[in-house]
Amino acid sequence: MTPQADISIQSYTLNCRMSQEAAALERLCQVVRIRGFRIARMAVESAGEHIEIVLTLEGSRPITMLRAQLEKLHTVAEVAFGQDSGARVQTA
Amino acid sequence: MNGAQHILEAFHRHRISTVFGYPGGCIMPLYDALVDDMGVDHVLCRHEQGCALAADGYARASGKLGVCIATSGPGATNLITGVANAHRDSIPMLVITGQVPSGLIGTDAFQETDVLGMTLGIVKHSYLIEDASSLPAIMEEAIELAQAGRPGPVWIDIPKDLLLTEVADAPCPRPRQQHTHCPDLTEVLAMLRKARKPLLYSGGGISLGHAEASFRAFAESSALPAVVTLKGIGNPGKHNPWNLGMLGMHGSRAANRAVDECDLLLVIGARLDDRATGKLDGFAPNAGMIHIDTDAAEINKLRTADLAIRGNLNEILEALSDAVKDMPLAISDWQKQCRTWHTTGGFQAADNEEPLAPITGPAFIRQLSRIAPDDTVIACDVGQHQMWVAQHYEFDHPRHHLTSGGLGTMGFGLPAAIGAQFADRNSTVINVTGDGSFMMNAQELATIRRYKLPVKLIIMDNQCLGMVRQQQELFYDNRESQINLDDNPDFVAMARAFDIPALHIERTDQIRRGIETILAYNGPMLLHVAISREENVWPIVKPGASNREMIDETRRTSTANKEQIA
Repeated sequence: MTPQADISIQSYTLNCRMSQEAAALERLCQVVRIRGFRIARMAVESAGEHIEIVLTLEGSRPITMLRAQLEKLHTVAEVAFGQDSGARVQTA
Repeated sequence: MNGAQHILEAFHRHRISTVFGYPGGCIMPLYDALVDDMGVDHVLCRHEQGCALAADGYARASGKLGVCIATSGPGATNLITGVANAHRDSIPMLVITGQVPSGLIGTDAFQETDVLGMTLGIVKHSYLIEDASSLPAIMEEAIELAQAGRPGPVWIDIPKDLLLTEVADAPCPRPRQQHTHCPDLTEVLAMLRKARKPLLYSGGGISLGHAEASFRAFAESSALPAVVTLKGIGNPGKHNPWNLGMLGMHGSRAANRAVDECDLLLVIGARLDDRATGKLDGFAPNAGMIHIDTDAAEINKLRTADLAIRGNLNEILEALSDAVKDMPLAISDWQKQCRTWHTTGGFQAADNEEPLAPITGPAFIRQLSRIAPDDTVIACDVGQHQMWVAQHYEFDHPRHHLTSGGLGTMGFGLPAAIGAQFADRNSTVINVTGDGSFMMNAQELATIRRYKLPVKLIIMDNQCLGMVRQQQELFYDNRESQINLDDNPDFVAMARAFDIPALHIERTDQIRRGIETILAYNGPMLLHVAISREENVWPIVKPGASNREMIDETRRTSTANKEQIA
């Protein structure tokens, strides 16, 4: 397996819960970008000391790799796949 | 107690005795507090990059936390290369920068930069202090986090006004230690016993996990043929008969051959970096893989493991060692084969018997390895000399070899050597550098002089950027581009300007005396070694090619080599 092995672009939904802190969203988005995914949609809701983020992502690399990297972030409490993860993105 | 005083108090509590820094406007309250502090030795470097790289070298050599301090704006941006270097090599580091006062953040104030934003990708974690009352808890968390699990740099950016604000001086409770349980290793042992040609592959994770002794015990009790990554050099020890040395782009033919032919790869504390694996499709094509690491995100990142174990490397290695001690592996044919490969395809460099012959890089490093004391710390820079050290110096411990592996930072060696010397004032520390790298942080000669550090400096001077020149020769049709450094300064005179005595050598018969002279001198000394401009590092794998396609000097002009070069 290599990150480049599957070049078809797929869509995923990730639900993230992380602590409210300076640059929280930037930190999350930076990891998503550098690990090879594009944010197609993002919904953010503040919930006390946490923020809940629903990300719709597109990319060709294994999503498990991104999930593992997001889980490493010190302020990320939870990352879970949404129900429609893994759908193939139609390309022209 | 104000915020600045609290930072120093946290240093005391965590026995942080040495920090590397450079003062400036927004960090001045911390420097003011230092005036009255007796427990922290502050090392004033001459550039913030020097501070960060010295803190990095201190951490690598000592296994402790490296700490660097700078002011806002350019102070912080100058730290970035050093912090990125620590991040790429997972070095435990605490970075503290002053920031413009809280009310001025976002107003384009003098020496304001968005440090938090611009460093997100090069830190394990970072904080902008927004409320002085949060400082005690954040200091505790940052110090713990930088060293926990897979280590890395943690950055605290603190506005000047909060350094001056009173904070409660009650110490925070330390974060609870996480107790781990050694994972079940039954399957690892079953796979090891089933394999006919198992190979041990270790990296920088061994020393990062403070697992040097348990790794050494496992390597010896298992008698597994072993290869190491650049950062794993020294893991098996110089006397391990099964050590095949470094694999990868400039690895030995023996190490790469063993990886190519093994049927089981036991990867411990390594991340399968592209410089080590070469083209992934051709890497260990016949092998199953067991991957043992502290960081779950490294498992299956680049190659799917047949068996993945995440946990404390010390516990795992101790358990494995006990298990194989009771029932040795039946791999004598494979051991014999690897020994043969090592004899014929290990790193070899003939000592030139002709006394007036020019000095070659490999011959010099082999002499250095024979003459320097066993516990010498070598801090390399980046380039051809770095690879000659990796290939030809026989290290007995991974903390004796300080090298910028992930980021490949030219200019790393001199400040890293300074950090290593502060980690142990009595050890022999040598910075082996090239003429290109040396000039990138040469200002730190002033730090060596100021603190009277007995660091030895060896410049292997080929008057060009040798590694770039080599790749231009081999892979760009010998079209040299911007690599010429034949207008270098007089390095001997330059050292003397900093009150550092210096010697120049250029002939083979001068090597021994040159090395012995600098080692015997009671203080810092520089040895300027003139080497040939045309010398290359062999073997080499073309970037992006499979390790099987190594090019070596003897085959340089052969048809096969030409095909690989093309």
